[in-house]
Amino acid sequence: MRDVAIIGAGMIPFGRRDEDSLLDLLAYSSLKALDDAGLGDKGVDAVYVANMGAGILQHQTSVASALVDRLGLLPAAADAVENGPASGASAIKNGLLAVASGYYNLVLVAGGEKMREVVGWKATDFVATMTHPEVEYPYGITLPGMAGMFTRLYMEKYGLTREQLIAVALKNQRMGALNPYAHVEMVITKEGIYDHPDSVVNNPMAADPLHLYDMCPVSDGSAAVVLCPLEKAKAFSKNVPVVIAGFGQATDTHTLQERDDPTDLKAVTLASQQAFERAKLKPSDVDVAELHDAFTILEIAESEHAGFYKKGEGGKAAEKGETSLGGRLPINMSGGLKARGHPVGATGVAQVVDIVYQLRHELPKERQVKNAKVGFTLNFGGFGNNIVAFVLRRPE
Amino acid sequence: MKKEIEITGYKCKSCGRVHYPFHDRCLDCKGRDFDEIPAEGGAKLLAYTQIFNLPWGFDTRFLIIGVVEFENKVKAMGQIRADSLEGLKTGMKLRPAWEPVRQAAGEDIYGLALYPK
Repeated sequence: MRDVAIIGAGMIPFGRRDEDSLLDLLAYSSLKALDDAGLGDKGVDAVYVANMGAGILQHQTSVASALVDRLGLLPAAADAVENGPASGASAIKNGLLAVASGYYNLVLVAGGEKMREVVGWKATDFVATMTHPEVEYPYGITLPGMAGMFTRLYMEKYGLTREQLIAVALKNQRMGALNPYAHVEMVITKEGIYDHPDSVVNNPMAADPLHLYDMCPVSDGSAAVVLCPLEKAKAFSKNVPVVIAGFGQATDTHTLQERDDPTDLKAVTLASQQAFERAKLKPSDVDVAELHDAFTILEIAESEHAGFYKKGEGGKAAEKGETSLGGRLPINMSGGLKARGHPVGATGVAQVVDIVYQLRHELPKERQVKNAKVGFTLNFGGFGNNIVAFVLRRPE
Repeated sequence: MKKEIEITGYKCKSCGRVHYPFHDRCLDCKGRDFDEIPAEGGAKLLAYTQIFNLPWGFDTRFLIIGVVEFENKVKAMGQIRADSLEGLKTGMKLRPAWEPVRQAAGEDIYGLALYPK
């Protein structure tokens, strides 16, 4: 197996993009990634497109075939990859394996979603189609609802507090306001969403005990990366190659009710352990992480299950500022899903793009983790039933 | 969407693990033979939430949804019939009922409803 490097990365501003089609979004980020790599007119061997909902939201299928045609990349191999909100990382994994195996030398991975095209209840319903179609979905459960149940159990078991959740929301929106690609560029205050009497209006209950500002927005957006063998990286591109040092993927029961301990995100632990083992690195080696904070609780729970903190300590760390820039482990310096946004098919790719920027030391100092050498991403599918993690590193 | 959400557990004949919903192979021992066990007895509340942003198919202001464990170990999701979360507590007993839980194509879909005692 060959070591694989990311030599190009691209992203477009997330948000509400009424003027663009899904294919526009995918094409824009793909061209940015190809141009970032400096490939010029060179073609690629294969394209993997991460998308969860075009068949439902846009009434469009075969988006990978459409994208290679749009980009003039024919006759490259093209596949769409769907793994719910972890589609992006799954698509990168497929590209990684294709390059590592020696089958392909140049692979483009693009992730995109256009969710603001439909009204709110339709978007909520679309995401809820991930739940079990016979024993969960008919009752009206949503992903925020799953997160609400999980949060209450976490509070009861580990003493998690609302102040700890708010610390994540404040940090990520603060960072999002510094990120030109972020959907939400608005700094919020604890007073505005918690202390002040008006916070009941500003920050209403959404899925008890989670409030509006515990949730990520529904977004349009896309992101893309270009992969090649590390040994050929210098021949293809002048960029600092970012090595995909390890990946892990694990699954868990479809329904929450069948987990022995519903607060135990086993697949997060397993995927993270696999990624670290393959990378021959430890959680303590990580300088910066992008975690899947679709809900504030998830950043905290993932930081524990991935091995960065003991169970029950992640919330305290967030509240103490350990996960802020300059802290022990800066998490979601992009603003995370909470502020960058969560176009579901794009998210896993966007997380990797943000870590690539960190490891290439290209970000403004307000978001750049100084001298970052090792990064970590975690993309969370379903409610923890299909997880993909990456450990990325800057070459010595 | 099926018109009835059956609350039937599947007990593995090899290791005794109770599953719900159905799996072709036991999640623990990979056994393929199961005894069907209808959910029986009172229901203990394991987890719950109140959601205000509802998906397609619901014409109410909110839903209260919980996961319960029946006395014969069958665990299932259901709708809790209450006006608010006041009075609900993890571990409390709820009374199960078989009622319409939503409509689809103009027809009632029957499933698990749960009442605080």
